[in-house]
Amino acid sequence: MTVVGHIRPAADDAPPRPERAALRWRALGLAITLLLWTVVLVLCLVPLALVLVISVGQKVEGAGWEWGFTAENYIRFLVGAQWPAETTFLYLTQLYWSMRYAVVASVIAVVTALPFTYLMTRQSRRAQALWLVFLLATLSLSEVFIVMGWDIILSNNSGLPMLFAASGLTDWLKATGWFDVLRDWGLANPRNVKFKTSEFATVLTMSYLVWPYAVILLYPALSRLDPSLAEAARTMGARPWTVARTVILPAVRLPLLGAVLLLFVFLLGGYVAVTVFADPAKHTTAVSVYEHVRGSTLNAPFGAAQSVILLVTAAVFLVIGHRLSRTSRGGG
Amino acid sequence: MGTLDRRTLLTRGGAFAAMSAASGVIGTPLIAQARTLRVGSYGGYFENSFKEHVFPAFTAATGITVESVTQPNSSDWLVTMQQATAAGSVPTDISLYARDTMIKASRLGGLIKTLDISKVPASANLDPYFVFDAGQGPLGVGAMSWFTAMVINPTEVSQAPASWADFWDSSKYEASLGLSKNFNALFLDIAAATFFDGGETFATDEGILAVIAKVAELKPNVALWWSAESQMEQAMKNGDVIGGQYYLDVSNLMAAEGFPIRPIFPKEGNPQDYGSWCLSAISDKDAEAAEFMNFSSDPATQALMSRKIGTAPLVAREKTDLTDDEFAFTSGAPAIKPAYEAYLDKETFIKEAWDKMVAGA
Repeated sequence: MTVVGHIRPAADDAPPRPERAALRWRALGLAITLLLWTVVLVLCLVPLALVLVISVGQKVEGAGWEWGFTAENYIRFLVGAQWPAETTFLYLTQLYWSMRYAVVASVIAVVTALPFTYLMTRQSRRAQALWLVFLLATLSLSEVFIVMGWDIILSNNSGLPMLFAASGLTDWLKATGWFDVLRDWGLANPRNVKFKTSEFATVLTMSYLVWPYAVILLYPALSRLDPSLAEAARTMGARPWTVARTVILPAVRLPLLGAVLLLFVFLLGGYVAVTVFADPAKHTTAVSVYEHVRGSTLNAPFGAAQSVILLVTAAVFLVIGHRLSRTSRGGG
Repeated sequence: MGTLDRRTLLTRGGAFAAMSAASGVIGTPLIAQARTLRVGSYGGYFENSFKEHVFPAFTAATGITVESVTQPNSSDWLVTMQQATAAGSVPTDISLYARDTMIKASRLGGLIKTLDISKVPASANLDPYFVFDAGQGPLGVGAMSWFTAMVINPTEVSQAPASWADFWDSSKYEASLGLSKNFNALFLDIAAATFFDGGETFATDEGILAVIAKVAELKPNVALWWSAESQMEQAMKNGDVIGGQYYLDVSNLMAAEGFPIRPIFPKEGNPQDYGSWCLSAISDKDAEAAEFMNFSSDPATQALMSRKIGTAPLVAREKTDLTDDEFAFTSGAPAIKPAYEAYLDKETFIKEAWDKMVAGA
């Protein structure tokens, strides 16, 4: 006699037995697991597989592209389309700028958010709550909106350059010779200072963009920090800087590293700030991906190859970060 | 302001188009008796002007109702149409393609239908150049055209340049110009017309590289390499740049609103690009489409579009009743014809060489 044959007649008249209910729960659990896997498969793995497959596709000059199996998109990323006749590191340079902006902006954001968050956690609970609500609310501003705002702040007739000119600072700079230095740095034209396009504006906007995230990421660790540790150090005669360096920083080392890594990955795909504020010589892989996939050449394979490389780079950085945090945890 | 969006609507166009497509399918049975036609255009002010002024005039003349479909002015739309054609249902009967996109569509194949040009007699008003034929018969009938003009800020530049070559003068324009970052935004055609033999220079790789090298000399004077139309608009308004390349019609609109911008036709001229009406390969509205293209080719319609949308007419000026001012608002001479074929045949080469030059890599 099978189990099914045993249960079925009982189902009509008898109340469900405990094992039957358990079976039903297990079926439900299985269904949910299956559903989750389907979602992961459809939303993550299938698109990723598609990108991988497209990245080995073949570009047709003057038209679109077709399925294929070629490494030329990856080779182009390393040495350019004209290789071996000619070599260019254009795309590697773009990858370098992706990294550079993401690293610099995320470090600046975390480093400036740290003292702010620390001071915030020393406030009353009500003040903390207000700050957190305010910061969470600013997250609703999109990248486009923030870039637009900085665009206006840095513009010639409506922003900082106007203040420079109106306050006489521009004339002063011209009189003292600093203006020529700024022109050499690309931060001035013959008429006035200019902040667009510049690496300064790009990094500024990117770190501004992720700054609230940095605070929110650091907040839990800093608010759990026992104030008596710092007080003890102070009573033993340590100066505030020594307290920060020897007590607070070591205690939040891991959250700091985690925050930098997360913001780094987030900024790696930044697009709007770079297109608006960066000189084309300092554009990133994300911009190039967009141009090739959506631009007039319809070169989706090369765009896909670039995104695969960007993805691999991000993964490498995450693995290194993970290693670092494990070593530091072991050492601490 | 609306018109400023029309070429930048690239990303949103697809979604709008899909929505319009859905509504088209739902709406069909209700108006089955009436003759209808779905026509694509670039959205924003541009499309609104079509809906307000051009389509009603067409309906009044022929009794055919037009359903307007928003599409982007870019190769993006080819991907949408390719997928839609494969799925057996396209969002629009007639698409509006710039010439390079149209050539690309003809090379991709299976996207646009050959037209029976005898059903479009008014197309004789157009220069034959504007009725595109890739070898298997006419594929597109010119709709309207637009210029990319030299622009300056008249309050900063007292003496208007007589030649594009003036922009290379760093004593006047150091870090002060706005040029398009896209390799096929026709600045190469400008440089070729100014310093080389125009379109012929694009015949060889060496010629193309020489033109790109000439543009490289201009780099110290470029403050903004714009990728979206709105970036250049803002930069001119804000005084971040005092000259560069920009669309003639939009520049005139901005000037009319009081902003410090003045479009100029220097002695080499400005590049003229144009859009064509093309019929989807799987549309069965051949007759309606022919009537629409015929109506669009009429000098009166060309003048109407110039007045209401700001596009340049594709028929000789004498055939229209446009006044001097109205004509100068949208058009001018001489016109530089872009080297479309080279941009397509050598697209990877030109794009990479241009990108390298712009990036200084």
